[in-house]
Amino acid sequence: MKKLFYTSILLLSIACSKDYLNEPKPTAQISGELVYGSRSGVEAYISGILRMVRTLDGNFNTGGMDAMYTARSVKGKDIIALGPFMWWIDDYKYEDRAATHARPIFSWKYPYEIIRHVNFLLEGIENSDNLSESDKKELAAQGYALRGFYYFQLAQEFQLTYTHNPNAPAPPIVTKPNQEDQPMSALKDMYTLIVSDLEKAVADASTTRLGKSYIDKNVAAGILARVYQVMAGSDPSSEYWHKAEKMAHLAYGGSVAAALDPESYGDGFNDIQNKEWIWGMPQRSDQTLYFATAPSTSSDPKSPGTSLYIDKDFVDTFSDTDVRNLFTENKKAKIKAKTFTNAKFTFSFDADMVLMRTAEMILIEAEAKYWQGEEVGAHDLLYALQQNRDPQAVKSSNAGDALLDEILLERRKELYLEIGTEWYDARRLQRGITRSAYHPSDIDLTANDKRFYLKVPQAEIDANDQIDESVNAGR
Amino acid sequence: MIRVLKVSLMLSLVLLTVQAQAQQKMLSGTVVDEKGEPLAGVNIVIEGTHRGTATDFDGKYTIEASPGQKLTFSYLGYQSVSRSVGESNILNIRLYPVSRELAEVVAVAYGTRKKGELIGSVVSIDAETLQKQQTTDITTAIQGNVPGVTVIQSGGQPGSNPIIRIRGIASINASASPLVIVNGVPYNGNLNNISDNEVESMNILKDAAATAPYGSRGANGVILITTKRGRLNSPPQVSVRVSQGLSDPAVSFHKVLGAGQYMEYFWEAMRNEELYIGDSKLKPGTATKAQKAKAAQTATDGLISTLGYNPYGTLEKPVGTDGKTVSGAALLWDTDWKKAVLSDQAFRKDYQLNISGGGQQTTYALSGSYLKQDGSVISSNFERFTTRLDLTSQVKDWLQIGLNTNLTNSYQNNPTQGGGANRNPMLWIYNMPSVYPVYKRNPSGQLIYDDKGNKIFDYGDGKEGELNARRETFTMYNPLGNLYDDDIKYSRSNTDINGFAAIDLLKELQFKTQLSYAQYLFDVKQYYNSEHGDAAKVHGRVTKRRDIYKTLDFTNSINYKKQFGNHNLEGQALMEVYDLYYDRLTAAGEGFLPGVKALSSSTKPTQASGSPVEDRLVSYMVRALYNYNSKYVVEASFRRDGSTRFAPDTRWGNFYAVGVSYLLSQEPFIQRIDWIDVLKLKTSYGELGNNTTLLSNGSKWYFPYLAAYSTGFSQLDHPGVIQSGAVDPNLKWEKTASFNAGVEFGLWKDRLSGSFEYYNKKSIDLIYEKPLPLSGGITSLTTNVGALRNYGYEVSLHSVNLRNPNLEWRTGINFSIDRNEIVELTQKEFISGSKKWKVGRSLYDFFIREYAGVDPDDGYAMWYKDVLDQEGKPTGKREKTKQYDEATRYYQNKRSIPDIQGGFNTEFKYKNFDLYALFNFSWGGYVYDDSYAGLMSSLKSAAQGSPDLARRWQKKGDVTDVPLLLDSENQFTSTSTRFLFKNNYIRLKAINLAYNLPEDFVRDMGLSTLRFYLQGDNLWTYQSHKGIDPEQGNKYANPEQNLNGMTNHQSYPLRTISVGLNIEF
Repeated sequence: MKKLFYTSILLLSIACSKDYLNEPKPTAQISGELVYGSRSGVEAYISGILRMVRTLDGNFNTGGMDAMYTARSVKGKDIIALGPFMWWIDDYKYEDRAATHARPIFSWKYPYEIIRHVNFLLEGIENSDNLSESDKKELAAQGYALRGFYYFQLAQEFQLTYTHNPNAPAPPIVTKPNQEDQPMSALKDMYTLIVSDLEKAVADASTTRLGKSYIDKNVAAGILARVYQVMAGSDPSSEYWHKAEKMAHLAYGGSVAAALDPESYGDGFNDIQNKEWIWGMPQRSDQTLYFATAPSTSSDPKSPGTSLYIDKDFVDTFSDTDVRNLFTENKKAKIKAKTFTNAKFTFSFDADMVLMRTAEMILIEAEAKYWQGEEVGAHDLLYALQQNRDPQAVKSSNAGDALLDEILLERRKELYLEIGTEWYDARRLQRGITRSAYHPSDIDLTANDKRFYLKVPQAEIDANDQIDESVNAGR
Repeated sequence: MIRVLKVSLMLSLVLLTVQAQAQQKMLSGTVVDEKGEPLAGVNIVIEGTHRGTATDFDGKYTIEASPGQKLTFSYLGYQSVSRSVGESNILNIRLYPVSRELAEVVAVAYGTRKKGELIGSVVSIDAETLQKQQTTDITTAIQGNVPGVTVIQSGGQPGSNPIIRIRGIASINASASPLVIVNGVPYNGNLNNISDNEVESMNILKDAAATAPYGSRGANGVILITTKRGRLNSPPQVSVRVSQGLSDPAVSFHKVLGAGQYMEYFWEAMRNEELYIGDSKLKPGTATKAQKAKAAQTATDGLISTLGYNPYGTLEKPVGTDGKTVSGAALLWDTDWKKAVLSDQAFRKDYQLNISGGGQQTTYALSGSYLKQDGSVISSNFERFTTRLDLTSQVKDWLQIGLNTNLTNSYQNNPTQGGGANRNPMLWIYNMPSVYPVYKRNPSGQLIYDDKGNKIFDYGDGKEGELNARRETFTMYNPLGNLYDDDIKYSRSNTDINGFAAIDLLKELQFKTQLSYAQYLFDVKQYYNSEHGDAAKVHGRVTKRRDIYKTLDFTNSINYKKQFGNHNLEGQALMEVYDLYYDRLTAAGEGFLPGVKALSSSTKPTQASGSPVEDRLVSYMVRALYNYNSKYVVEASFRRDGSTRFAPDTRWGNFYAVGVSYLLSQEPFIQRIDWIDVLKLKTSYGELGNNTTLLSNGSKWYFPYLAAYSTGFSQLDHPGVIQSGAVDPNLKWEKTASFNAGVEFGLWKDRLSGSFEYYNKKSIDLIYEKPLPLSGGITSLTTNVGALRNYGYEVSLHSVNLRNPNLEWRTGINFSIDRNEIVELTQKEFISGSKKWKVGRSLYDFFIREYAGVDPDDGYAMWYKDVLDQEGKPTGKREKTKQYDEATRYYQNKRSIPDIQGGFNTEFKYKNFDLYALFNFSWGGYVYDDSYAGLMSSLKSAAQGSPDLARRWQKKGDVTDVPLLLDSENQFTSTSTRFLFKNNYIRLKAINLAYNLPEDFVRDMGLSTLRFYLQGDNLWTYQSHKGIDPEQGNKYANPEQNLNGMTNHQSYPLRTISVGLNIEF
């Protein structure tokens, strides 16, 4: 009996507390209440989303907004993708567009991932009891700007331009967290959302920010300027030209001299602090995309991943005194198309990546003036930029279509390898892309060629009850 | 807890009242078996009365009887003995077995059982069988020995764990791996840290009756490992085993093109590109002579500059416009990448020592071992030191205590050997043409040496435009450089302490407490050198990861055992508390001086991360076994588990099993049949659970129900958080309902014995990552989705074909037919990679495009697609298309899992020789050979090719299944039935030929055994599809992908031949 007694004591002493199973908690996570409980909590989520904006997703050509931009760059006629790294070759040949291919999956999945987080953010802000109304507005503005920006990317990648057919099917619109499956939308509905989001953002965004990767009024205005520019198409009577002009002006501040810094153009495009940068993605050696640091990884001839080269015809458009003439000719190149490389971008794992610059905004303003019939103002603005870039620049005598072409050429010269200017302009103006004979691939696109956009990913069709295989018919 | 206490108190009260009244004389004694070991639970009945008793845990009994009365001693599987009570007050009895089978004691969940009383499906692998193979992970020994268990070796890295699935796949996204229990405690270390030397038995628990005591962790089956123990009253016994051997890959590789042939083929691929894709864009087969001549000239002129390398030295145009190598051309190099990166002489050394024995109260067993096994991939290896000590002592006649301790260290150099990473040397064998050199060459093709006169690895990252300097693919990599100059080192350390105390509270009642603490340290060091390769840009990179696992398991049980005449009752009430603390710390840095690998030498720390997690389980279990006269056995168990993996509301789950067995051979009408020794029927049903939720990368997911914001997403200096994904807060236990029915038999004095079993498992509420539309911003939601059914038949037969003093010949065969069926899904279907999941289909039915051969007109590959009607619905007709994306995916009625799998073994003993051979086989499965697909890629982008390209389409009218060569993006080798092959195989898994020196001679040397042996593993393989190893377990993937039949450029399992020596004294 004694043994039984001792055993009972032992058993009682090991009986564990009720909370034993409640004690383990994730140690690297925090709750939603904490996030939406304070301004700094919400800012942490915004920081997290901006960090996600530069997340590696599988391959080095599918990671971050820079990858999307670079894929567009090689779809134009100024850049040649020839390897040895295969990263951009399929984009260059317009072959990476089928439903199971990496590009459509990335171009679809990536914006929607950000949009999902923004939807959480916006809902969280709205339901928060602890944030002041002004904080709510200002923080939500950053979310609206991001959502507008990424829906704008979806519209660009998965349908022809807005003015071609506003009723054409566009990707689904999702504006709430955990919404049920959504069908394909109409392009015009998507643009309605984009404009509404961005207009809210411009109205409420702050003029100060945590860093240049965050969104302030200028960034929001810059995104909206691009959107209006696309919505205006090539219609001189479009109301959007006036709006685009205003937004572009707001984005760069209005003073060409103050907005530009020609000396820094040759500094390697790796520093977000550059005053010409309105918006960018920062990197640090412990926060890097490694070789997904496009386009510098692929275009810097000193990078181990060099695989992008420049069309000779394009190189020839630059004068020797132009600060943007950063090309190197390798006369010994075994393959002719690999002759010209460019040193605009300096590759390193901590190189920052540019998303928007003042020069683009100046040129949008100039173009908007042109379409509205203010050719003199347009030409002056253009010349101001040209003179800034090349002290020996001579003002052209172009007018009419020739002046427009000069503005478009200036956009390419200013923004090559940045935002896919050639492809972007050809889409919105409904023009084709004709590559020079210098290219190893002589594929040309006619206006509104279906290769200007991508097929809907199979994974979406497979999982979405509202979309079936027919969505890709004709794409 | 309090409940357990109450139950135990009540039980003891009941028992106290059952004490017998004193009269007549007290008779006592001990019952032992034929070896002199005490037998517990022997029935003792006074003939003609209903009075009786049973022996206690130490084989002792006392009974009141009067002289002249007759006592019957009976014990399952033993011949009953009757004795008259005489003058003496002591009566010791020795019993001899009828059938060893029935009497054998096997380890089961939380205890042991006599085989005759076993209801569950349990297969035991003893130490002897284990030692007939050369395992680095002992669980590989299950393959071919246990029906109904799928074991797949995963690659050729020594020490890599096989994939094990017991009776199919009971889970899609939670772990489908069995629970591993070592000496009664869940094991969280790596199984390669257990040496075969220290293992007494490894038991595979397959059905609900056997695994139900483990409740929530029993659904995938259980592997019980029991280590060696000493025996009471036995002199010290020392056993030494030494063996040494050589290994190489178990099967031969696909053949690849040599440099000369390659250049001719690549010339053709370039010419075709020029004709059909480039400037002229002709339809293949329509080119005029002039167009062909022009394209040929372009190919001849551009061949070297496109390849970037010229193995013909300074010969500028080694392939003429006729596509043939020009005469007089001599190759300076012709790289055999396989030879370069693989060793065909990997060494194996294995030393083992065992000392065991025991006195009257205390037993001991000490094991130690050292193993060093090199892998076939250069620099890969595994080295292990183990020690284990078991001490058990009967301190008082009512108290037994024991301690089992273990210290193991192992080291593994584990270079990447699978997957699509450029570092994977296997990828080089199948991707890198032989025209590229291992060592750096100058533009004229001569070797370049460094200052010390050594050759320099060619990383293919030299100057753009220079000859023999820059590769188009795998730039910055060299497999040998990666193998020699970089490290991926694992080191593992286990320190386990496991102690128990058993108190005999009453004769029938025992209390047992077991406390175990295990610490497992897993350390990864990854070093990418500072001078070459992908980390040269940042001057080297070191990543260090250290995982600490601390497992605490505390089990207390009350065990009851009582006999009432022919009624035998056993009961157990148990409580278990399990706590796993897991802490990972990762740190990385860049910027190192050449040769310096210490993290603290880094100029730039780039990563520091880690956070601990805790996983707990609290369980209560009761079970009871009733046995009537060793004929009818009924067992029931119930377990209630609470797990921290689920929210408080769904945390607790109830699990149970009931089973009966009927030993027909105890019935007189069967006993009259001479040739039947054993005949047993059994059946059981139970419901088990699974809580091992996993992340999509295969690692454990400890809080799958919590939606929170993960930290660590900082944007420069601003701390960042991110919503961690979609979760189902109501996530609950996966449950598996498992039915088992079987018959066991032993015939002709066990000359033929075996079993036949049928099982049917239905797993419901499967935890699965349900795919979501990408437009929701998230790819999947982990939730309880659908149900799966696994069912099958298992057959096992053993025969003693010959048995005489000089010669003995035994054979065994076992096989299973296992089927897998999706029973329920919430969506109508899922596409999961190369499979489509649909109700009624297996998880493993290939659903891919169907290859339609090559168009004889133009040499392009074709696939089938559905002809659609006006509304876009399939008409049932099919047509061919050259657009891969347009082609329709079809069920191929081909599965990646086999129709039948199993093993057979045979054992000869002739005088002093013995021979053992074990084969395993798998029949009816299919494999998708991606390596071969790569080799048949029409040489696009200068990839390596197969000699089978000789069958390629060359001119209009050629009828073949190999498309034209084309150095241009094409989808000829995209996933289709073109590379889906039948994967039947038989493998001679183990063979062991031994010679035992004559006893007299050995005794003179002071030994008891001296044995020489020759041991071979994987020596021979028959395979229906050659070129890759038939076993393609993908351990990096999700559980369901482990067996999905998709190859992953893995290194091949090893074939090993060794000589060994075994000394015992």
